[in-house]
Amino acid sequence: TAGNKIFHFGPCRISMSMTEIRSSFTAIKANIQARDPIRTLSILSHPHSLHKVKSSDRCCITHHLFNFYVDKVFKHCKTEDSYVNRKISSIANSFLSVKRKLEQCHKQNKCMCGQESAEKFKQILANYEGLNVIAAAIKSLGELDILLNWME
Amino acid sequence: GDALLPAPQNISILSTNMKHFLTWSPVIVQGETVRYSVEFQGEYEREYANESWIPICECSLITATVCNITEDISATVAYNLRVRADVGARRSEWGALKGFFNRITTSLTPPLMKVIADGYHLLVELEDMGPAFQFCVLYWKKGQESRMQQKVVKEVSSAVHLDTMEAGPDYCVKAQTYVEAINRNSSFSQTQCVRAQGGRSVWL
Amino acid sequence: SGELYCSLPNPRNVHFESINMKNVLHWSAPEGTGDGVLYKVKYSVYGVGKWIRKPECRNINRTWCDLSSETSDYEEQYYASVKAFLNGMCSDWMETTRFNPLTDTKIDPPMLSVSSTEKSISIILTAPEKWKRSPEGEAVSLLQVYPGLQYNVSVLNKKTKKRWFFSISNNTLVVPWLEPGTAYCVSAQIYVTTPLLHSGFSKEYCIATLKEKMA
Repeated sequence: TAGNKIFHFGPCRISMSMTEIRSSFTAIKANIQARDPIRTLSILSHPHSLHKVKSSDRCCITHHLFNFYVDKVFKHCKTEDSYVNRKISSIANSFLSVKRKLEQCHKQNKCMCGQESAEKFKQILANYEGLNVIAAAIKSLGELDILLNWME
Repeated sequence: GDALLPAPQNISILSTNMKHFLTWSPVIVQGETVRYSVEFQGEYEREYANESWIPICECSLITATVCNITEDISATVAYNLRVRADVGARRSEWGALKGFFNRITTSLTPPLMKVIADGYHLLVELEDMGPAFQFCVLYWKKGQESRMQQKVVKEVSSAVHLDTMEAGPDYCVKAQTYVEAINRNSSFSQTQCVRAQGGRSVWL
Repeated sequence: SGELYCSLPNPRNVHFESINMKNVLHWSAPEGTGDGVLYKVKYSVYGVGKWIRKPECRNINRTWCDLSSETSDYEEQYYASVKAFLNGMCSDWMETTRFNPLTDTKIDPPMLSVSSTEKSISIILTAPEKWKRSPEGEAVSLLQVYPGLQYNVSVLNKKTKKRWFFSISNNTLVVPWLEPGTAYCVSAQIYVTTPLLHSGFSKEYCIATLKEKMA
């Protein structure tokens, strides 16, 4: 049958429907990015781009990033705009659904973490902790298309 | 008097083809207009956001006893839903949906389908069921079920070309919907067969 | 930076217009200013600390500036900014929203080449090229930028007025078993699923199948 979008991270194969995450994000992208005045710092793409991550480390980085967004980011993104909050809830619940699947892979040792992914993720956390928590969360949410572009 | 306003009862979900509606029984207060408000809570809110609830503004202080929650049930996780009533300054407790709702349980109906033979060409027209839907179309020469062919159709704006037909044998078609977000298919539609006839459609 | 006194109204609606990743900055003149307004432009890569001036768009009187070269890496995202000058006065810098070439570009329809025989038509589709620095530069098809690119092809039988629809991933389509001596009109659209992008439909190319040879 027509497959769900199957993401291959080495031995870890995960079916994800990115279409809804993308459309929810596209609906609030301009609003969220306008709340982030800091042009000179990126959480995900500088100094090291996600595109430089070796394929063997992609699963681990993806697992770390989905945990990062679910555990740290979404809860600090509440806005005064009910429509934006509902879209954030939609993205957060979709991320939670994917995070669960990545956790399965991790438990089955199909999502191994190498040195590079540990370094990369440490850099992302350092970028994140370099800002106050609300600014960091809003900036991370505004960079979701960087994550989605890299994943797809 | 100012008796406590009863919470809405018989709260349930009607979910078909990824369209989800919350319904409840009306709260009756003689001579008064009762209004209702709906909120939802996803698994994320329960586990990571202090069990917070999110109002659905299209269903805030409405008089209807049904709310379209499709836009907000947009992840394949377990959702809680609740409704309360308001009459003037009086407000009821929340009435909650018994158990969770996960859209994976939506009922999927077979697609409406029309098969056309246009000359030697086999075509199918399918009902547009929204962006969440794709269609898996199977077609075969009658009697050769073992050599069934499949086509995935995402765009249904006009007649979709399946194949060319030899003159003479009947060609049969059936279709099912596929929803990528929940990775589920509907059952198949009725089979329809046509035959190529030098440019005129012939129904069998 | 020794800027002049900045009380001039600001440039308006500063935004990127991007087609096939030819990324051009556009803006409208400040309200109420006639001729004589000059502009300068700068841009920055999101996440990198500095603004970079665009010398070719310094003291210009037009209201656009081609930044395709500066924004050609579609794994990055960008901001651009414009400042206006008139009679010794200047405006504030006015910025775009964050520009993501991969998701924010528009895609042209595919080019079509259509031929026919007595009973069939053959259609060859070509995706547009990504913008390139110079005509001699290496041509990069948008197919390479968007690997999931597909074509939706519409074929209209002018006699029966019936329209058929094909969705294909490769770039050729042969429609056999047609009626001789009949006109068919073909148009096509590009459809990308990740990210979700689609072009408009191309203009229609009409062609007739050859007349049946007398036995």
